Formats: sequence, structure tokens, C-alpha cells
Amino acid sequence: MEIINTPATAQVEEAGKGVDLSRRRFFQMAGGMAGAGLLFAACKGSAPTDIYVGSGDTGLLNYLYILQQLEAAFYTQAVATPYYGLTASEEALLTELRDTEVAHREFFKKMLGADAVRNVEVNFSPVTFADRTSFLSNAIIIEDLMVAAMNGVVKLFTDTKYILIIAKMAPVEARHAAYSRDLLTRNSFADATAVNSNGLDLASSPLTVMNSAQTYLQSRFDTSKLPSY
Amino acid sequence: MNFKNILNDISASEADESLSSRRHVLRSFGSKVALAALPFAIGSLFNKTYGQTGSKLIEALNLALEIDYMQYNFYHIANNTGDLIPPSTFSGNNDTAGFRTIEQQQLAHINFLKTTITALGGVPFTPKNYNPLDVNPPFVPSAYDFTARKSSTYAPIFVNVFASYPKFLMLAQLLEDVAVKAYAWGMQDALGNTTILTQMFQLQTTEARHAAHVRLMRRLPDVSAPETPSPWIVNNIPPTIPLQSYYLGEDNTIQNDISLTTLPGTGGSNVTKIGATAGFDEPITRAAAYAFIDPFRL
Repeated sequence: MEIINTPATAQVEEAGKGVDLSRRRFFQMAGGMAGAGLLFAACKGSAPTDIYVGSGDTGLLNYLYILQQLEAAFYTQAVATPYYGLTASEEALLTELRDTEVAHREFFKKMLGADAVRNVEVNFSPVTFADRTSFLSNAIIIEDLMVAAMNGVVKLFTDTKYILIIAKMAPVEARHAAYSRDLLTRNSFADATAVNSNGLDLASSPLTVMNSAQTYLQSRFDTSKLPSY
Repeated sequence: MNFKNILNDISASEADESLSSRRHVLRSFGSKVALAALPFAIGSLFNKTYGQTGSKLIEALNLALEIDYMQYNFYHIANNTGDLIPPSTFSGNNDTAGFRTIEQQQLAHINFLKTTITALGGVPFTPKNYNPLDVNPPFVPSAYDFTARKSSTYAPIFVNVFASYPKFLMLAQLLEDVAVKAYAWGMQDALGNTTILTQMFQLQTTEARHAAHVRLMRRLPDVSAPETPSPWIVNNIPPTIPLQSYYLGEDNTIQNDISLTTLPGTGGSNVTKIGATAGFDEPITRAAAYAFIDPFRL
């Protein structure tokens, strides 16, 4: 798997200010890449090289598998090139995070069998892994996005066994999100950027999540048959 | 159920169910027709989908509501108990802010669940000695004994729960983990109502955020809980041996008939047991959830 790791300091400075980071980063990336037209290409019709995500439950499982590939690659890179100043405790937890996301990734791959999409190529140019603030800010975006994805996807499944499996996994992603939030800003584990005034956590549609996740993905996807709303 | 009643049920459901819910039913209907004769399929459809919007769903929501009342009372007492929660467990930070956030969100859950259960035609749970005319009705300290005096197993652990920060955190962890695990079980009762299903997921992950925070507070140097808890549940390690029952089954490495530790992991090894167990919060039955919270109810 190709990992592109170019520091992007302008975005690091913006990160951590607390408000809707994923959307802001999307627009930052859009601005930064406008000349290359990469992101806007992704918004048009699918190209022959795009990875076809599939339809129905298979499409939904592939969608989660793509996100889990992203998370596993993110923590694999972080364990290989950890941020400066990490404590022994943080190092141990970083390894647990990697192992957990690898387990999630392989679980989806196994469930999908021959229907699994190929390995995706990630784009970690927004992340400076050696920088604690950059790493954690991006970890928060990715984990919050994963929570929103799992909470938002369950109502689309036809086979309810997948819903009950995700009921065991969504809270784990929320634990991850809360941890990175607390490490960056103590007590921000469930602040108003994640949990609304009814005490409800994030939930987003597959197409909304894929749009945000594209920031970290070099591969492009054909989501034309992916169930969404 | 005769056919005319079924049609009535469809129109009644359509009046108050979301579009996606109806779509869900129609989709599962299609797959069932392929497997069985039509009249049988219709009966099965209503048992398995609309049937679930009834008492089982309300039972699941009322358990969540009961746990939320308990948590709200627990945190409300703690947040108003002198020096229990230290202003600074970690340099430059203030632990009290985190527990005020949790208290506030448990109260929001109470209000949200009361509204939801009432809208479904159910009767929301109320704690013992609940009085709607009280200044702050959800605060019913006389419904609970967080020192667990009636349990010879738990009383020695929690006798000083509001005087010892580590003990307070230990019970907070149990309540948050139990809430997460009870939701994981309750989802099967919400499959017929996709709006509430999604909301239950959103409530569950909020509880999981609380659990992770509490566990991190226990891990950090000022508390340094002996078992070095992670923000997530690794294996089935309890905070202390008498509390093992709360974590039974968390060492499960088989999900959906797939043995996770036989799958390829990192650097030529298989998926680790840590990854396999930390990756999934295991459900507990409603009976188990009630058994876990019972020692703390009067």
C-alpha cells in the first residue's frame, strides 16, 4: 500500500480549533488542490479506474471496508513513525489502536470474500505524523467520521445481522475518537462538535462520509450504486 | 391476524413511520417472498418487523432510560460532593469539566428517551420515589445506594464511592460500559424502526465516549488503576476481581462465525487477541444488565 506522507503545515495550524474540522479540511483541501482539479474530478461521473464499491449490503460493507483500510493504514503509519514526545502509555495505546483497526479491516474483508474491493491507496499528505497536534487532529477527524459512518449506515442494511455486528463496533470507534480528543484537548471527548443537545452522537450518510474521507484517499471510487440518503 | 388487519396496520404504520422504515420493510418483504409462500411471508413480515416496534422496543428504551437515571444521579451527587473530583488530575486540566459534560448529557438522554417512549405509546420508566413536582425531578437520590450496601460482594468495594476518586471512577466505568453493552443487545428490538435504531446508535456511541474518558482518567498517573485500563475493553480484564462478571465474554475473538485471530495481521503475524477483543463491545441481555445495576438500586 502506497503511503504519501508530505507535511502540510498550513493545515496543522488550522487544526484543533474545534469546529467542524472535517468540513473545514475538505474546503482547505479543495482550495489547495483547485489547480490540479483532483477533488473536482472526483465529483464528476466515474472514471474507468475508479474502484466500484458495489450495491446493496455488499456496497455498504465495502464502504465500511474502505474506511477501515484507511484507519488501519493511518495507525500503521503512526506506529511506524510516531509523533515526538509520545509517552510509553501513549505508545502502548497507539499499538492497540492499530491492532484493533487491522482486526476490523480483516473482518470486513473476510465477510466480503470475493466481493471485497481491492486495497485502496491512501493519501496522508494532510498529516504530519511526527507532530503530535497534527496526528491527533487528523485522528479525531478520522475517528469521528467513522462513528458518523457506522451510526449513519445501519438503517440501510437489508440483512440485520450486519446491524447487530456494527452495534459492537460503533462504540469502539467512539472510544477511539474520545481518546484522541482527550489527548489533544482534555475533556473534549464528547463536546458539542460530536454530541448534540439531545445527547446524540454523529450520524452521516455514506455519500457524505465518502466525500469527507476522500481527503485521505488517493484511490477514487464509483459510488453510483452505493445505498445512501 | 387477518389480511384486513394487516392492511390497517400498514396504513397505521405508514402514518407514523419514516420513508426509510417502510423501504426497509418492503426490501425484507421481497427477500422473504422468494423463500416462502405468500400468506406465510406476510405473517412472517409483520412478526419480524412491525412486531418489534411494540413492547420489546419499549423495554429496550426503558432499560436505557433506567440506566441514564442512575448515571445522572450518580454524577449529580459526585459533581456536588466537595473534593471528590480533583480539579487537576493531569497538569493544567480540570477533571470536573468532563464530569459536568457527562452529567449534562445523561440528563439530555433522560429527556430524549422519555419523549421517544411516550411517542411510541409506551410508559417511560420512573425511579423509585420519583416526584414530578420536585424542583429537579430526575434527581432522586433516595432511589439509589451507590455504596451497594445490600451486596456483600460490592459493598466492600464501593463503601467510600463518593469519598474516593478511584472508587468513583471504577463505578463510573461499570455504569458506562454496561450502558454500551445493553444498547448493543437492544438494537435487535429496534430493527423495525430505522429512525429509533439510528438514534439508539447515536446514544450508544455517546455512552462509549463517556466510558473511554472515564477509563482514561483511571489510566493516567494520578489514579494509575492497577489493571492499567485502556479507553476500550481489552480482553475481559475487570477493574478488580469481584467485578469479573461485568466483563465475562469480552475475550470473545469470534465474530459472525469468523475467528479473528486466524486472519492476517501486521508484520506477518495474525490479528492479535488485543485487537480482536478491543475491537468489539459485547452485548449483554436485559436480564444481565438489570442484575449488574441492581446492587445500586434501593
